[in-house]
Amino acid sequence: MKRSTPYLLLLPALLFTVFVLVYPLLQNLLNSLHRVSLIRGTGDWIGLANYAKVFEDSVFWLAFQNTLLYASVGTLISLLVGLGFALLLNMKLGRITNVMGFVYTIPWVISPVVAGFAWKWLLNDNFGIINHWLISLGLTTEGITWLGDPTTALLCVIVARVWQFYPFAMVMFLAGLQAIPEEQYEAAAVDGASTPGKFFHITLPNLRSVTGVLLLLGLIWSFNDFNMVFVMTRGGPINASMVLPVLVREFSFVQFDLGKGSALSILIFGMLIALSLLYLKMISRREAS
Amino acid sequence: MRTILKAFLFAGLFAVSCSAPRDGVELQLWNFGGLPGLIEWVRARADSFNATHQGIRVTQSQKSWNMIRELLYTNLSAGTGPDVMNVHANYAAEFGGAGFFYPINTFPDFEEVKSWFEPHLLESTRYGDNYYGLPSSAIAFTLVCNKQMFDAAGIAPPRTWSEFRRAAKRLTRDTDGDGTTDQWGLVLLGGDRGGFSYRFAPFLYKAGMNILSEDLKRVEFDSPMGVQTLQLFVDMHQIDRSITPGFLAYQHSEINDLFCSNKVAMSIEGPWFRPLVDQKSAGKEFYTVPVPVPDHLLSQYETLPTLQDMVMYTISAHTKHPNEAWELLKYFRTPEADKYWITEELGAVATTLEALNSPEAASKENLALYRHELRHARPWPPHPGIISIARNVITPWCQKAIVGEISAEEAMRGAAAEAQEILDGAQ
Repeated sequence: MKRSTPYLLLLPALLFTVFVLVYPLLQNLLNSLHRVSLIRGTGDWIGLANYAKVFEDSVFWLAFQNTLLYASVGTLISLLVGLGFALLLNMKLGRITNVMGFVYTIPWVISPVVAGFAWKWLLNDNFGIINHWLISLGLTTEGITWLGDPTTALLCVIVARVWQFYPFAMVMFLAGLQAIPEEQYEAAAVDGASTPGKFFHITLPNLRSVTGVLLLLGLIWSFNDFNMVFVMTRGGPINASMVLPVLVREFSFVQFDLGKGSALSILIFGMLIALSLLYLKMISRREAS
Repeated sequence: MRTILKAFLFAGLFAVSCSAPRDGVELQLWNFGGLPGLIEWVRARADSFNATHQGIRVTQSQKSWNMIRELLYTNLSAGTGPDVMNVHANYAAEFGGAGFFYPINTFPDFEEVKSWFEPHLLESTRYGDNYYGLPSSAIAFTLVCNKQMFDAAGIAPPRTWSEFRRAAKRLTRDTDGDGTTDQWGLVLLGGDRGGFSYRFAPFLYKAGMNILSEDLKRVEFDSPMGVQTLQLFVDMHQIDRSITPGFLAYQHSEINDLFCSNKVAMSIEGPWFRPLVDQKSAGKEFYTVPVPVPDHLLSQYETLPTLQDMVMYTISAHTKHPNEAWELLKYFRTPEADKYWITEELGAVATTLEALNSPEAASKENLALYRHELRHARPWPPHPGIISIARNVITPWCQKAIVGEISAEEAMRGAAAEAQEILDGAQ
């Protein structure tokens, strides 16, 4: 085999990556530094002016705050719910465990667009089943305008996000739980440890690395999540549930300010790269240990 | 193995190189949106064109109306896209002005074709000295009133703002006596930013307002009358509670559901509302009346303008075959083709004089009203930035005021300042 053969074999994949990833990314970076209009074409070099425009836009700060909330609160609750269900499934209650395992995983396999529409109708203020239940139970006297009220819209998309992400967390936690050596629990029992004691001193420490990975993946995926928010609220009402990926579309394809949209997407890319590097570092540390 | 691979490669290349060259001219037609009946008709019309025009082959694609701007911007700026397409007439300013639409007044028989159409509708396809399309279908924004609810309450459709407000308030009720409101006077399309501004603008026009100055250089919708127009909706939502509380999240489907289930009494709609309602509740009766006017302008009730919207068929400036595209354009918009808008319920009004004056037109539901309203109606001002102003400026500011985040005056001032920036930037 010639020395160049491996490189030649790698070349098609490399060219493909450059074409579909590096080129658009560089073009996006260039767009963010120019005045770009789809109608008038790429204009003058304006340095960081597009970035300044993004930072000056009050909707950006609102979307940034919403994205942080959506990603952090959504991921944390997903992890808690996922851990809860994983603990239940790990109790090995026979055939019911398999059935429930399947049922709990359903939200994960449903397309976010389909899930978004389903949630939209579930939460409809006049015809939605959630309001119907709340009224039937006497918890409210009239339908709550979940998605039409600026104070509840973001909360609703977070709930939908939790519903979609917790099954992944559950599966990961379940795998983590099943990898914990039984001897540790037996030794703790011999020492007279209580159930909460076993949970806090054996289960949780053993799940630390899985939790770290899930936390980072949850943050990255939520930060990137466009579908659920767009389908449910389009970032409304009055930008109350606006998140950064939806705002990129807003800048680029509603306001048609491609330079500003590119600048924002580069900013999001930077944040995601930082999170990804953290994830890779965590993975390599886990493998080393 | 290598020999087999080579054989396959050669066979593939041979097949490609030997494929018969296509004779004649190929045209791409994009049809944006439309009710199922219209989509079928467009397909059939394209097939009929292919059958009757030797040497020209039309390939038709159906596209989403919701994606129209994204698709046009990305394709036309890249020099791709269709030869012929249907678009909003007010894109004549934005895309025609930027050189993306073909000026059809350069065709020698344009003057003859021009005479097919209602003159004021054809004018909406014009920007500067050029015409950029042939009218396809027109829309006048009106008020629809749920007949069952109005009749039950014994009230007539409103003509003035105070009647409108009173009717909405009266029709906002607790119908089952459980102490909560379950029927509202008015619903607004709040979840669609473009759609919301298209429902607010008719009220501005009926109040005698301009959106922009005549020379298109100044914003005018923030005058005291503009503030009063917004205040009307603020009061209806904040004081009377007669607008559905969840309107900010509503799209067309929610409005249709509410209207058909007698949960709302009024909505600002156009001719598309009949087919939309029929999908849910066939034959449901409603009154269609002009958008109410301010009380002091009641004497001008018949003549104050509403918002006119129109779809036109246009030719891309990138087309390599303008003459053939013009043939296709005319074929789609002949008076004979236009009669389909009269004989079928397609959600908009025909635009050719022959179709509008045909015997079938006389019995068409509400056509006389729409024609009357269209005669006085005005489109959005022909400024390239107007769609952006409507969707991204007017809507969010007005919605903030309606839900009580800011006052109507602050909203109009803020919207005007932002809109003026867009106008100044365009200059």
